[in-house]
Amino acid sequence: MPSGLLDQLRRIVGAPHVLTGVECSPYVVDGHAPEAAVFPGTREQVAAVVTLAAEQGLPVTPWGGGTKMWIGSPPNRIGLVLALKRLDRILEHEPGDLTVTVEAGLTFDRLQVELGKRGQWLSLDPAASDRATVGGILASDASGPRRHLYGTARDLVIGLTVIGADGRAVRGGGKVVKNVAGYDLPKLYIGSFGTLGILVEATFKLRPRADVDRLVVARFDRLKDAGQGARAVLGSDLIPSALELVDDQALERLSPGAGAALLVGLDGIAPQVEWQVAELERLLAPLGLRESRVLDGELRDETWRGCAALGRPGHDAVAAVMKWAVLPTQLAELMDEGASAAQRNGLRAEMTAHAGVGIVTASLSGSADPGPVVATLTDWRDLVVGANGHATVAWAPLAVKERVPVWDDPGPTLRLMKGIKERLDPSGILNPGRFVGGI
Amino acid sequence: MEALLGAGGVLSDPDELMVYESDGLTLFRALADFVVFPRTAEDVSLLVRLANREGIPFVARGAGTGLSGGCLPTEGGLVISLMRMNRVLEVDYENQMAVVEPGLVNLHLSWAVGPQGFYYAPDPSSQQACTIGGNIANNSGGPHTLKYGVTTNHVLGLEVVLPDGELMWIGGKTRDAQGYDLVGLFVGSEGTFGIATKIVVRILKKPQAVKTVLAVFDQVDQASEAVSAIIARGLVPAAMEMIDQLTIEAVEDAFGCGYPRDAAAALLIELDGLAAGMEAQAERVVQACRDCGARDVRAARDEAERALLWKGRKSAFGAYGRISPAYMVMDGVIPRTKLPYVLGRVNAIVAAHGLRVGNVFHAGDGNLHPNILYDPRNPGEEARVVAAGAEILKVCAEVGGSISGEHGIGLEKVDYMPFIFSEADLACMHRVKDAFNPTGLCNPGKIFPSNKACVEVGPAYRPHPIEEKGLAQRF
Repeated sequence: MPSGLLDQLRRIVGAPHVLTGVECSPYVVDGHAPEAAVFPGTREQVAAVVTLAAEQGLPVTPWGGGTKMWIGSPPNRIGLVLALKRLDRILEHEPGDLTVTVEAGLTFDRLQVELGKRGQWLSLDPAASDRATVGGILASDASGPRRHLYGTARDLVIGLTVIGADGRAVRGGGKVVKNVAGYDLPKLYIGSFGTLGILVEATFKLRPRADVDRLVVARFDRLKDAGQGARAVLGSDLIPSALELVDDQALERLSPGAGAALLVGLDGIAPQVEWQVAELERLLAPLGLRESRVLDGELRDETWRGCAALGRPGHDAVAAVMKWAVLPTQLAELMDEGASAAQRNGLRAEMTAHAGVGIVTASLSGSADPGPVVATLTDWRDLVVGANGHATVAWAPLAVKERVPVWDDPGPTLRLMKGIKERLDPSGILNPGRFVGGI
Repeated sequence: MEALLGAGGVLSDPDELMVYESDGLTLFRALADFVVFPRTAEDVSLLVRLANREGIPFVARGAGTGLSGGCLPTEGGLVISLMRMNRVLEVDYENQMAVVEPGLVNLHLSWAVGPQGFYYAPDPSSQQACTIGGNIANNSGGPHTLKYGVTTNHVLGLEVVLPDGELMWIGGKTRDAQGYDLVGLFVGSEGTFGIATKIVVRILKKPQAVKTVLAVFDQVDQASEAVSAIIARGLVPAAMEMIDQLTIEAVEDAFGCGYPRDAAAALLIELDGLAAGMEAQAERVVQACRDCGARDVRAARDEAERALLWKGRKSAFGAYGRISPAYMVMDGVIPRTKLPYVLGRVNAIVAAHGLRVGNVFHAGDGNLHPNILYDPRNPGEEARVVAAGAEILKVCAEVGGSISGEHGIGLEKVDYMPFIFSEADLACMHRVKDAFNPTGLCNPGKIFPSNKACVEVGPAYRPHPIEEKGLAQRF
C-alpha cells in the first residue's frame, strides 16, 4: 500500500488503529493477507475510510470477531480489513419496548449478558457467540438451534444502519417492532456478507427470558428412528424451541455412548415445560427411544455449545463443512446417504440438523488429502441439489475451495442480485468476489 | 389481450373501470385504461411484456382492500387483477407449508388447512376479503402479529413476474436461500418490484388452547400502562388490542358486544399455546391489569363469548360508519412505552382541528389506528383531516416510530417518507427499485413522490354494507 494512503488512514482512525505488514497476519483470508487493517472508533471514521477506499479502488473487507471469515469464495485480493470491534456500545435498551439498539462490533455474549440483567434476551443462538459480533452474525445470517421457534436474524432485526460504498449512512427499518414504511432494507443487508455496505448499528426485537429452560437428549439406536421421532414431535402439540437431529458420529463427540439422538429445547413457564417433557417421552417411547435425559443449567448450556461447535473447523482433523437446506421430511434419508457417500470416499461424516426447518451441518474428517474431500462435497451437492435443496461449502481449505464452488449456481436470480450490487456498490469495493455468482 | 384472456378477461368500458378506481382508502381515485384478468402466471408474464412493449404502466390488484391507495393506476394503463388466480395449489402438512395463488383470499387458506389442524397466521382484519397476493405487497399485519409476526415472517418463496415480464422463482420451499434475500425485499415492496404469481407460505398448527381476557379501565393511561406491565412480566400474548371510549360506544350502539359504555378504554388480550400453564398465564395477565388500576377484568367463558368480544374489536370500523359520515384511518407506530404520551397528543391534535377521533388498535405492537371522524360535505373539513393526520404521523416519527405499521405508504403517505428517512435512505431505496423496475412502469407513483400522477382526491369513504353489519372491516 502506498505510504500516502496509509498516512491518510492513520489520520482518519489514529495511528495506533492501523495495522500493516506482519501485524495483519491474524486477518488473512484464504491465504490472502490484507494490505492494512484499520480499527475505526466511530461510524464517521468508518464512512471516511470507505470513502477513501472507494476513491482509491481499494477493496474493503469488514471484520467483526473473525469467526466466519472462511465462508465465501476465495478472494482475488484483500485490500483493507475494516475491523469494527471498537464500535461496541449498547446505544439504547428500553425493556418496556422489548427493543435494543447496539453497535455492530459488540460481541454477542456481552449483549446477552446485559439483556439478561433485565430478564430479556435476543432470541438467536449462533455459534462462537463469545467472539462473534452482532455485525458479523447479521452479515452472515448466523443462527442456531433455537431458530426452530424463534426464527433467524431476518425475523428479529427491526432496523439497521450501514455505511454504503459512497460513505453515506443509510438506515433501513426503524426502532419499532412493526413497520412497513419503505423497502425492507434490513432484509437485503442481512446475509449479504458485507458486499453492499458496512453494518454499523442494528436494532432488535427482544423476548422475555423463560422461567424454565430444559434440554432433553433423547437417544435412539438409529438415525432413522431419531428422524421419525422428530417428525412425531413436529406433528404433535409440543412447541419446542429447538429440535436437533444428531447422527451417531456427532453424538459421540457430544456425549459418549452409541446411537443417534434428538435434542429438544423446551422453555416457558414451569407447567408448560413439565407437561412437554412428559409428553415428549410418551411420543418417543414407541419409536425406539433408548434413553432420555433432561438437562438444565451448565450441563444444558455446555451441550448446546458443543452442538453448535460441531459445524466449525478447529476440532481435530475437520476437512470440510457443508451446509444443506432441504425439506424436514427429507432429512434422515439424505443424512444417511450423505454418510455413505463419505464412507465410499474413505472419510468420516458428522452431521447435525435443525429438524424442523431442514438445515443440515455436515462435516467431514478422516483425511487431509483434498481428493476425497472434493469428491465427497461434490457428491453431497449432487445429492442435495437433486432433492431440490441447496448446499453451501461453509468451510474448506483453499485447495478444496479451488475445486468445489462454495455456492450453488444461482440461476436466473443472479441478474437481480448483480443489479442490486452494481447499484449499491458501483466500483465493486465491498468484499468483492466472495459471494454468490462472484459478487 | 382479448385473444389471450377471452372477451370476459378484459374490461375497457369506463363504467366498468370505475369499479377499480379506488381501494379501501376512497380519498384517492384513478381510472385505468384496461382491467385484465389473467388465469395463469404465463398470462401475467405476457401482459407485462405487452405493457412494456407499448410503454404503458401496469399495477397488480387483489381484492382492493388496501388502505393507502397502493393499487391505484395513477398514470392510467393496465390494472392486472389476480382474482381469477385464487387456488390453493399444494399443501404439505408434514413440512408445514402451502403453495397458493395470489388471488386466494387470506381466510380461505386457513379454511383449506383447518380440518387438518392448521392455519395461516397473519390475520389482517380484512382477512375475509383481502388476498394473499395483496398481503405480500403490503407485508400485512393483523392483531395476532404481536406473537406470530407479519406476512414476511411467513413467506418462504415466490414465483414472480418481474417488471420486464420475466418469470422466475425467488426463495422456495427450503430455507436460507443463497444470495441476497430477494423474498424479504419483495414482500412489502407494494407492487413496485413485480407481481407474485405463486406463493409458498408456512402454515402453523392450531394452538391447543386460547384464552381471551377483557380488561376495563377508567383512564386511558391505565390501559396503556397495563400493556407495558404485561410485557414487563415476561408474557407474550398472541394479541393485545386497545379500544377507546368513543369506539366502545359506537360498537355497543351498533352490535352490543358486552363492552361497558362508560369505560375510558378496554384491552382485549388473547393468550394462546399449550393448555398446560394457560390458567397460570391468564392469572398473570389479570393481575397486571388489576395492578394498573383496571376496574374489571374478565375472561371469556366460552367460544361464543370470545367471538362476541372479537366482534366488538373487529367491527369497530363499521360502527364508526354509523356515527360519522366518513372517517380516515391512520397507521402510525410508536414504541410501546410512549403510548400514554402519544395518545394524549393524538387527541389534542384532532381536537385542535375541531374534529373527533376514535382509537382502536394493536396496542401490544404500538401500532396506532386513530380514526378521524368527519363529514366531507362540510367545506374544508377533509383538508383539516389530512392536516391532522400528517401531524399525528409526525408525532409518531418524533418519538422514534414509523409512519406505517401495516397499511403501506402507497399514494397516501409519499410526502411523509422524509419524516423518518433521510435523503440518503431514500436514495438507497431508489437504487434498489431501479434494479427491479428500471423503466418505472410497474406501479408508478407509489412509496416515493412522482410528478406524473393523475389522481383525483375526492369524497371519501362510505362503509360497505357488510361493514355496517359488522361482518367485516377494512383492517
